[in-house]
Amino acid sequence: MHKKKMIWMFLFIVVLSGCSLKPDVAKLYKEESPLQSEIIIPNTFSANEKETIKVILTQNGERVEGADFVHFEIWKQDGTVTYYMEEAYDLGNGVYGISKDFDSEGLYFVKVHAGNNGSIIVPQKQFVVGELSESELDFLQKGQQSQIEGHEHHH
Amino acid sequence: MDEATNNVAEKNEKSMKAALYKTVWRWHFYAGIIFAPFLIILAVTGSIYLFKPQIEQVIYKDYYEVNPQGEKISASAQIEEVKRLHPDAVVTQYRLGESEDRSSEVGIISNDESLTVFIDPYTGKSLGELNNDDRIMDRIEEFHGELMAGTIGDRIVELAACWAIVLIVTGLFLWFPRKKKDLSGVLFPRLTKGKKIFRRDMHAVPAFWITAGMLFLIMTGLPWSGLWGSQFQTIVTNTGEGYPPSVWIGNAPTSNVKTKEIADVPWAAENLEVPKSEVEGYVPISIDDVVDVANRVGMHPSYTVIFPNGKEGVFTLSAFPPKAQDEATIHIDQYSGAVLADYRYDNYGVMGKIIAWGITLHKGTQFGLINQLISLAICLGIIFVVVSGFYLWWKRKPKHSLGAPKAISMKKMKLFLLLMIGLGILFPLVGLSLIVVFLVDWLIIKRIPKVRMFFNA
Repeated sequence: MHKKKMIWMFLFIVVLSGCSLKPDVAKLYKEESPLQSEIIIPNTFSANEKETIKVILTQNGERVEGADFVHFEIWKQDGTVTYYMEEAYDLGNGVYGISKDFDSEGLYFVKVHAGNNGSIIVPQKQFVVGELSESELDFLQKGQQSQIEGHEHHH
Repeated sequence: MDEATNNVAEKNEKSMKAALYKTVWRWHFYAGIIFAPFLIILAVTGSIYLFKPQIEQVIYKDYYEVNPQGEKISASAQIEEVKRLHPDAVVTQYRLGESEDRSSEVGIISNDESLTVFIDPYTGKSLGELNNDDRIMDRIEEFHGELMAGTIGDRIVELAACWAIVLIVTGLFLWFPRKKKDLSGVLFPRLTKGKKIFRRDMHAVPAFWITAGMLFLIMTGLPWSGLWGSQFQTIVTNTGEGYPPSVWIGNAPTSNVKTKEIADVPWAAENLEVPKSEVEGYVPISIDDVVDVANRVGMHPSYTVIFPNGKEGVFTLSAFPPKAQDEATIHIDQYSGAVLADYRYDNYGVMGKIIAWGITLHKGTQFGLINQLISLAICLGIIFVVVSGFYLWWKRKPKHSLGAPKAISMKKMKLFLLLMIGLGILFPLVGLSLIVVFLVDWLIIKRIPKVRMFFNA
């Protein structure tokens, strides 16, 4: 009798403590193949010379050659420099780039618009040429939303 | 076989049948008395919550309705306005509004309170704000789902729902016509056979009529419950036939960037010599980019954007509109805008689709008003049956005891015992409560004569 009770208790504990989702459960459902990008900013900027900003595109772990489209957009935070959206050069092996002048010091943004095989991405990176001005530093401190923590979603 | 043994066998069978009837009645009796209050609460709160869309449309009219005029201003400009009103707030959600004359909503957390700010998308001005704790329909939902008592409340509701199944099964057994072919007292009440029979019929007959609806509400409600529901959803999702992960349970994918490549906010205000590496890096895409993605992939207009939770989090587009077929959950990388997962109703497994339909039917939204009215009728029926059952007992209850049917030793009721154990395994909370019942019976009721008399054990 005791043994029987123990077995029941064990069964209930198993059921109550339950199971968890399989780590690769997402593979059982519809999957996306998102483009991934790595934007490469030159280490140094020299005056009066064009510098090339590059992006490496990968999808499903492979380099994307001949992507459907790759465009670059570059602007300076204070609005004094703007390079409107422009098609990038295909540098081969999944690398795309654009060459521009960066003679004015300060805070810049580059935004890549790329699409291939159903996935479209718009990654944006900020970078600094020379030194930051006080107003740019001020912008950086105020501009971004503080990290969101501890909110759940329900429906 | 001679006549004597035949008689004995017949007598035996008759007494067995009577014993079984008494046992089932006893369980129905106690389960009914204990869970009656909870069933009433569920039916009353459910009746009100069914009409949430209409009720909120009336009480929040001033927050909801806007005058369409010209172009809508961008989502980011609307959120800027909210940040101006609440400089310290963290934005958690944004909802565009599903029609031209519907305001947009910005969900924020400010001073540990969740607020919703309603914005007129044409003027960009705030129409007012609501503290989410003050939303009456949300409180009613909380009452319905967890008796406003958190996890413990959730478990009690789940227990009541599971025991309601026991009540239905035992009730059907007691109701099942045994002798006559006459359908009075079965499908319709006997009005002229005296008060006692009338009282019995006013419980048993309507109870039969609402059984299917009640069972449906229980079975469609259970998948949301905290214990049984989560287990059930986990098992179903694991088979590949349920909701895809993150729609109900499971985590969303994470944004695909290494932490050190994310631009940090420089906090050292006095120091202009901020290390470049700290400032340089990827920055989250803007809410306008997120809205662009939503338009491109085609979301139901009632969707909400849930902002990323932490550096690895994603933007989630979430739409759970009235009809199950329109549901969508989309996760977007917060640094690249790439769609990492795009789950529509069509991507749910078979069970996922059934659960989704169950939920919209349970909430009364799937078929609009007619759905609400049918569900309301079931709720009112449940209230009637609970009250009439209670009254039935009250009228025949002796003064100094509960008037419970006599207890029969469980050892004689192998089949019934097996059935209860089966239910106890299927619904672990029922099982757990059965263990408690047996322990209380064995340790207290059986040992104290007065208590034993009271419970008729």
